[in-house]
Parts: sequence; structure tokens; C-alpha cells
Amino acid sequence: MIGCYVTGILPRPKELIEITRAYDRKKVSKETLEKAFHDATQKVIEAQIQAELSYITDGMLKWQDLLRPLAENLEGLAIGSLARWFNNNTFYRKPIILNAIHRTKNIVAETTYLQLLPKNIPWKAIIPAPYTFAKLSENKFYKNEREVMFAYAETIREEIKKLAEAGFKYIQLSDPALVYNPFKEKIQDILVDIRDALEVALKNTEIRSCLQTFFGDFSEILPEALDFPVNDLGIDLYETEMEKLKEYAFDGKGVALGLVDARSSLVEDEKELLKVVDELTDAIYPSKTHDIFICPNCDLEFLPWEKAKEKIGVISSVTKLLKSMENIP
Amino acid sequence: MKKLFPTQEIGSLAKPAWRVKAYRGEPLSQEEISEAIEWGQRLGIEKIENLVKILAKSKKTNEDKKAILQWSALYAIRFFENAGLDIVFDGEQWRSEMYEHVIRNVEGFKFLGYVKSFDYRYFNKAACISKPKYVKPFYVDEFIFTKENTQKIVKVPFTGPYTLVDWTFNEYYERKAASQTGNFKRRKASARRDFLFDLVKEVVRPEIKRLIEAGATWIQIDEPAATTNPSDGEMQLFVEAFNETVKGFSCTFSLHNCYSNYEILAKYASQLRNCSQLALEFANRDNTQIGTEDNVRVGYRELKKFEEYGYRGNYGLGVIDVHTDFIEPPELTRDRILYALKIVKDPERIYINPDCGLRTRKWEVSFAKLKNMVLGAELARKALQ
Repeated sequence: MIGCYVTGILPRPKELIEITRAYDRKKVSKETLEKAFHDATQKVIEAQIQAELSYITDGMLKWQDLLRPLAENLEGLAIGSLARWFNNNTFYRKPIILNAIHRTKNIVAETTYLQLLPKNIPWKAIIPAPYTFAKLSENKFYKNEREVMFAYAETIREEIKKLAEAGFKYIQLSDPALVYNPFKEKIQDILVDIRDALEVALKNTEIRSCLQTFFGDFSEILPEALDFPVNDLGIDLYETEMEKLKEYAFDGKGVALGLVDARSSLVEDEKELLKVVDELTDAIYPSKTHDIFICPNCDLEFLPWEKAKEKIGVISSVTKLLKSMENIP
Repeated sequence: MKKLFPTQEIGSLAKPAWRVKAYRGEPLSQEEISEAIEWGQRLGIEKIENLVKILAKSKKTNEDKKAILQWSALYAIRFFENAGLDIVFDGEQWRSEMYEHVIRNVEGFKFLGYVKSFDYRYFNKAACISKPKYVKPFYVDEFIFTKENTQKIVKVPFTGPYTLVDWTFNEYYERKAASQTGNFKRRKASARRDFLFDLVKEVVRPEIKRLIEAGATWIQIDEPAATTNPSDGEMQLFVEAFNETVKGFSCTFSLHNCYSNYEILAKYASQLRNCSQLALEFANRDNTQIGTEDNVRVGYRELKKFEEYGYRGNYGLGVIDVHTDFIEPPELTRDRILYALKIVKDPERIYINPDCGLRTRKWEVSFAKLKNMVLGAELARKALQ
């Protein structure tokens, strides 16, 4: 199978940015803001449809950061101060865990513009993975980070189940913290726990799932990651040593290849990308049977919308070229 | 004897409404004009009527706009002087913003639009699309104006090259590197390095040279992005860029870094050459109780790290939180200074400043904060006697 999709929060188009800034300065009403979000969401959904992506998201334009809707809506949490979002000039608000985490409503489905999503193309939902959630939160309740991770995994299992019931066909768990490792700390010891937490979160999930990693080198969590209970593994090819990646066989697992750099405004050369995918899949799929998704390496929100749209165009073109190479309609 | 605990500002001061609107050519309300008059009188500024005349004009010429920048800079200089600071600048009144000001005055860049910083805050991000080229001085005029209008020591804030690179898309060098290697990771790293050192050579050093020729004796390199990428390789790149920036110049240099990872910065600070002072933020990490005990002055603990890692230069000690309207009492500033002294030992190594530029505070608040900061430094001096 060959497909493509986006992997996170899309940038707010210019007109929405203007309204949000005006709202922040109390110059426009909440209704104006809501309408602007609605219109912009329609626009970014339309762009994905036009680009013929295999799965569509609503663009997550309202998400102030990857953790916010959960931090705001799960019980037991409060919103803390700003902290740097990995090695970016972007900030998120730290969730503070004050009590046992539990959910009382459908968070992501209620945050998503379901009515704007197309009926004839499968939908994709994105939520933080257990490890990233635990790592980025300030824990004032549980014994340790591990306990947070499992408590959160338990909580989102129900959330994922509800997403499937709402009509989503794909769930991506975003896990940048798992591979972002500037101090080269030993991570191998916790990979078993990571796998177990994913198992808790995805138990009985019938829709397709992906653990999307970014901002770090995926080869550092191999071969253990091949045992993770997800269908697809997302890899940031701008941070990963591709040569090391090629030493492993991914047979039986799908890959989401972060082939387009969402942190660079330079629009990639499609032919070069095609060559990279070709060589990579040859190496990692000795059986020659593969499931490949072409995607940006991380959230496209680091770019202005117009550039992001161009990059969505690139993933779409590369996917089409790949399909034609393999005679897939 | 040298005055202990000299007081300084870090850079920006809020731009008054009359400065912003008049520069844009928008009409001013009577209230805004009155504000200019009131502050002018309060700061002892002469011939305010000339400013008022310009402000009242319905159409402003380019000459008027330049005059507005100068008036605004003069206000800021007097503001700092009146607050009692020993080391001053012009509150960056000429600059639109620390990043944009430089990028707009250099060739090779194009603004692509706003990207999210957090929540409903964004920043206008540029891409480097050709080799950066120095076309005209961008800090020299404001420096000369400041120098001519104060008897105090002048410190010029200068946006550092590492931050400029970190906040900019790197199209030109990434495109160039694409022909050299197929390895995406290495390609990005080498393109980043080339961009950084070209910017230092082609833009940053030429401007520093002109500033020194114009009489600048102290330049503060502002690098808020210094620890954004805390890996060993990136931190070494930052150090290398700083050292290359200041190399061979006969001038005092210092570094300002804020809202960062000081554990990391401390590790590398002693490798910064020709860096006479590290101006750092601590007040916002601290609590507001009086006292000089370890368990009270929690915000200043990281100072120990700098000492442990062998940094022996001076400190610009942040004693004022620039993100709150709380007016730090002089006794609190005093205790923050005295606590720092317990760690640093040598009082001559401690300068006193706000955590960062005061651009987000109203003038009334900034003025009260700075006045108390100066009083606090005085109390600390007395405590040593």
C-alpha cells in the first residue's frame, strides 16, 4: 500500500492569524473568531482533498499545542506556564498533573470539525503518545513518570475507542519525546515500558494506528520499535541516520516517512525524494511487500500556510509518482 | 574606588503610543499627545513643544518620522537616566523589533509571513534566499544619537548571529548543500553552519566594526536562542559563532541570554572569549520574600552552576521580573544581590539589571521597577560597608 497524509497541526492561514491576533487584543468577538476558525478549517480540509491525501484531518487549527486539548479537558490536570517545544522557537503550556487523570467526555472528537470532514475519504485523528505526554507534563501526583505514562495510556484508550466510533479510521500517536535526545541519554531500558503503554492505549483498537516520531533519530530506538503494537511507524528523515535505518527489516510494519521538511521553507525536489524512498524501501522491506505513507517530518505549523500547502503538494506528487512506478492505480 | 553593583538596562523599553502611531502616520488622540507632554516634563526634556508640533501634524514627512524616532530615543535615554541607571541605551526605540530590524536592513532575506510562537502569538519569519549582504549600517545612527545625548556609559544591544540564524528559514544554504550530499541530516547541519558563519563575516562583523569606529566601547550580544538546541554540537556552534563575532575587536563585549536552559549555558560559558559579562534572568524564577538564604533565593541557585563550571567573568544579575507589574521593593533587590554575592564572592563581578528588556511593561511600571532596582543596589552597597 502507498498513501500520504499530514502528521500534525497545520498552520493557521493568514486571515485566521489576523483574527486570532485581533481577538487577543479584544478587538473582535468570540463569534468572529469561531467563524474564522470554521472558514480556515474548511480551507485546509479542501487543500488536503485537492491534494488527494489518503487520510484527512481537520488541520487541528484550534490546537494551541499538541497537549492543550487534553490538558484542558482531562480531569486531574491544570495548565502550567510556557515551556520550549523541543528545539523550536515555539512554546507550549506544560500540563500539571494534580490528581488522578481521567476523562469525562469525548475530547478530540468534540474539538474536531467533524461536520466539515469529507464523507468519502477516511479521517485521521492525532493525539499525544503516552511517553511524550508523561515526559512533557509536570507530575505532582503520581509516583513517577512511568505511572503517569500508564495512567494516561489507560485514559486515552477510551478516547481512541470513541474516535473510532465517531468515524475515524486512523489514529496517530505523536511521540517526539521518544526520539528527541540531545544529550544522547540511554533510552533502550524504557522501550519495553513504552511498548506496554502503547498496548494499554491501543488495546482492542480496530482502526489503523501509527506511532509518529519526530525531532529525533528513529534508528536509536531500533530494533525495539519494530515490536511496538502499532501498524505504522513514523520516522523523521531529517533527523534520522538513514544508513542505520537501512540495517533493519520492517517487514510486517508500515512506515510513515517524514520526507518533507516541515521546519524548512525550501520546497523539496520531488525526483530526489522519490529516489530516497525507493532506496529506503528496497533496504527495509526485504520481502518487497510494503506499506508506505509519505508525509511531512512533523507538524506543518512551523511554516506559513502557503508554504505548507506547497509541501502538501509535494507529498501528494511523490505518492503519485511512487504509485505509477509500481503500477498502482 | 570603583562603584560596586553598577546598574544597567538590557535593551528594549515599550514604545509610547505617540511614537508608534506618529511613525505610522496615524492621527493621535489628545490623550496620547498629553502623555508625551507629561512624560517629557517629568523627565526634564527641553523644547517639548517642537515634538508636539510634529505630533499634531496631520501629514508627516519622512523627516518628521526620523525626528519622532529621535524624540522617542531621547525620552528613553532620559527615562533610564532619571531612574538612576549607570549604563544606558535608547530603549531600542529606533528598532521595530530585535529580529525584524536587522533582517529588514540586510540583503538576502525575504519575509514569508507569520508562524506560531504560542497560543495566539506569532512572529514574522524570514527566509535566507541568497548570500547575506551588508548594505548599510543598522545600529550606527541610533548609537551615535545615544552617545551624543548622554554622559552615561553606553552599551549597545546587538542581536546575535546564532539567534538570527535560528529564527530564519535557511533556503539558500540548504539548496546549496543539496548538491553536496544526499544525507538530509548532515545537509541541514552543514547548511546551518555555512549560514551562521557567512552571516557573522558578511553582516555582523562589518556592523560591529562601524559601531567601534563610531565610538562604541561596549556591545552586548543578545542571543535568546543560545540554548534552543542544547546538544553538544549546537552549543559548540554557538560558542564558536560568538568567538568569531568578537574576534580581534578592541571593544568590551557581553552576552545577554534569557528564558533559557542555564544548566547548559553554564557548561559552555567559560569557553566564550572576550565576553566580559553574562547578563542573565533570575528574578522570574525567584520568589518575592526577603532573605538571603538558599531556600528563599531559589531563583538564583543556577548561578552556582556558572561558578562550578569555571566561568570567571562578570554577571549582569537579573533582579527585576519584566513579565509582571509587581514593583520589587528595594530590600528584595538588595537581598537578591547579596545572595548572588555569597555565590560569586567578588562584588566587582556583579552588575545589576532587569531580567530582560522592559518592552512589555507600561512606562509607569518600568520606571517604578527601575528606581527601586537602583535603590536596592544602593542598599546592597551599604550592607557591604
